[in-house]
Amino acid sequence: MSSLQNLDKLFSKVQKATHYCGGELNSVIKNPEDVKIRYAFAFPDTYEVGMSHLGMKILYHILNKREDTYCERVFAPWIDMEEEMREAGVPLFTNETHTPVKEFDFLGITLQYEMCYSNVLNMLSLAGIPLLSSERGEDDPFVNGGGPCAYNPEPLAEIFDFFTMGEGEDVIGELMDAFNEWKEEGGTRKDYLKKIAKIEGIYVPSLYDVSYNEDGTIKSMAPNCPEAPVKVKKRIISDLDKVTYPDKFIVPFSDIVHDRSNIEVFRGCIRGCRFCQAGMIYRPVREKSADTLVKDACALIESTGYEEMGLSSLSTSDYTQLPELTDKLLALTEKEKVSLSLPSLRVDNFSLDLMERVQKVRKSGLTFAPEAGSQRMRDVINKNVSEEDLIKSATLAFEGGWNSVKLYFMIGLPYEDYPDIKGISELAEKVVECFYKSDKTNKRRPPSVTLSVASFVPKPFTPFQWAAQDSIETLSEKQLFLKNEIRNRKIRYNYHQSDVSVLEGVFARGDRKLGKVLLRAHELGCKLDGWNECFSLEKWEQAFNDCGIDMEFYTRARDYDEILPWDFVDIGVTREFMINENEKAKQALTTPNCREKCSGCGAAKLCKEKKGCVCFE
Amino acid sequence: MNNNYYLRYEKTENVKYVSHLDFVRMFGRALRRAHLPIAYSEGFNPHPLLGFALPLSVGYTSECEILEIALTEELSTEEIMQRFNRVLPDGVKILSVHEGKSNMKKLDIALYQVFPEKTPAGILEFLAMDKILIEKKTKSGIKETDIRPDIKGIKVTLGKIEMTLSAGSRNNLKPEVVIAAMNKYIAGYNSGDCRYHRKQIFDLEMNVI
Repeated sequence: MSSLQNLDKLFSKVQKATHYCGGELNSVIKNPEDVKIRYAFAFPDTYEVGMSHLGMKILYHILNKREDTYCERVFAPWIDMEEEMREAGVPLFTNETHTPVKEFDFLGITLQYEMCYSNVLNMLSLAGIPLLSSERGEDDPFVNGGGPCAYNPEPLAEIFDFFTMGEGEDVIGELMDAFNEWKEEGGTRKDYLKKIAKIEGIYVPSLYDVSYNEDGTIKSMAPNCPEAPVKVKKRIISDLDKVTYPDKFIVPFSDIVHDRSNIEVFRGCIRGCRFCQAGMIYRPVREKSADTLVKDACALIESTGYEEMGLSSLSTSDYTQLPELTDKLLALTEKEKVSLSLPSLRVDNFSLDLMERVQKVRKSGLTFAPEAGSQRMRDVINKNVSEEDLIKSATLAFEGGWNSVKLYFMIGLPYEDYPDIKGISELAEKVVECFYKSDKTNKRRPPSVTLSVASFVPKPFTPFQWAAQDSIETLSEKQLFLKNEIRNRKIRYNYHQSDVSVLEGVFARGDRKLGKVLLRAHELGCKLDGWNECFSLEKWEQAFNDCGIDMEFYTRARDYDEILPWDFVDIGVTREFMINENEKAKQALTTPNCREKCSGCGAAKLCKEKKGCVCFE
Repeated sequence: MNNNYYLRYEKTENVKYVSHLDFVRMFGRALRRAHLPIAYSEGFNPHPLLGFALPLSVGYTSECEILEIALTEELSTEEIMQRFNRVLPDGVKILSVHEGKSNMKKLDIALYQVFPEKTPAGILEFLAMDKILIEKKTKSGIKETDIRPDIKGIKVTLGKIEMTLSAGSRNNLKPEVVIAAMNKYIAGYNSGDCRYHRKQIFDLEMNVI
């Protein structure tokens, strides 16, 4: 193993050298000679994005707690650094010891969103690791994928050696133990893959064969060896109070997206919105106790000195011990002069009072997510928010001294029609009106309502996984229609690029055939697609054309009897539940949340411990 | 009443790419980790009372950086040094702590060490020039500036060039600009890539600050 020398020449030429050179507080330094396993953990986007990701902090901590393992970080270099690296012939290296990634035993890549796939290929190519799993030799690292996109790993099936389904805290250790055993046994690369295929939650794509019907849909998918299970079951942590949580976060020198310490309040979501993948794949809801959270918070303030502490969950208001937790946290943060950040709060009397206590003076902006404009549409997506709720919340916020609110919506939802879109502007009007109707609002500053409108992307493992996705043209038409509906100058309208959304949808529900499109797009220079200045729809369209693959095959509606590429993954939530939810959506019928009434989604069976789990309350 | 102290610290290779503003924030967090009773400013957005002498360019190392702090309690200088050094990232080290305020407002001159790939054979002719004109980019376009008055002295030894230059808010000359001028005016000279190190800071009378 060798760490690269003379990197100073590169660092001195690029804009953000601290993104590559390491040495941050709490980064782990070990002597590589002292460990048996070297694990490079990659986030396939830039440092400021990757360093904000909680999952990486958790796994970095867990791997480095092992004496036999050294986990280091690597990110996608920005354009200037990549140019310098390619010109100087410097391969992709880790931040900690500047060791080429190719020399590691594992390269673990977290897959947080589809638009990072081109970065995965670019990073492999920069590392000098063969892009295809089948072309890797005995000296190459095992390339491992995880994260939400791994739930439909098929577009990347030929690129990754294996995937980890679900929460990684336990399974990552099992993979390391299996590696040690395999080294002692002296087997081949294939032997290791067969060995870990037997571990619950591990998917080795090369051990499965897929055949297709004439129309391009899947005819069958089956294991080609006895070690590989027919169904791969996702892993979960049953008791979050017992799982290891980092007592230290790396503190970057430069500003990152979420530059703060974070405590994880719970996993999963009781709500069951029908478009939301996170709400399904992280089921069931499991909470940490307030005591554990306060302990986590204390340790992080002490070790990082961060001036801000965030609560992380899909919906903070649904935490059952929220009053107790915030009382204890506020006592702590006030003493330490740390500010508390509370994202994902539902606006009601309790939370406004809380925000008052947390923010003291600054009343920046409040965010609401009605997601759809008409009541019918909100029932379709099972977003159990009524117009009355929203107006009540907005009035409370305005009366509390907030003058600007932001509203999140989606267009292109299944079963949507133009009146539903018009409903978005009507709702925004009513929010502006409620400011003037109340005599308790601060009229000296006019209200501002910002609409942030995203395009719906159907995702695997949601009740809308069978739905058609609107074309780029239809989405653009709908965006323009809404734009023309908004006449009030107190309403601002922001929307996302529809071409990115469609591409995201194609890969989200893609199959193995898309692997060659990814390879071609990489050849054409696609990378950093999450960045407006880098994304090029033309290049992607060319990649699809060159491969003779039609995007529309992937945006179309599917029948219930079609075999979906991700059907081999068992997330606990059953197919019957998803179908039932989709049928209810068609009739605009809502489903109660997990605390109101159990709908028997199937996730309860995953939990071995009943403590803290919503299914056993 | 707040207690004032000033600290002399070094910034070495490990952290030389950290920008001045990022360094300021790093110290704020280090203070919290060290549990030092730092005084905060008044107002809506209280921030710790910290003062820095002269921002160091990205890529430079230094052994003469100064940080002023105000504490709400009186602590021994040894205690402050120990608590700080325990929590600072590798590459930053407090070298000494002193009571009271520093003379950093009087800062006028800095001594730099430059380590080029190649040193020039002689420097006398360069220093004998009446004017050393360099092109400087300003908002209104490229302007020619004479840097000679801001060069107090240059000494060349084996593998190293020492420069005493104007520094601070009145006139500030960076050693990399001098190197660029040397490459331009000393016939046949090419410094190659250089490392820059700030060695000492002085007031106008060359008293160490």
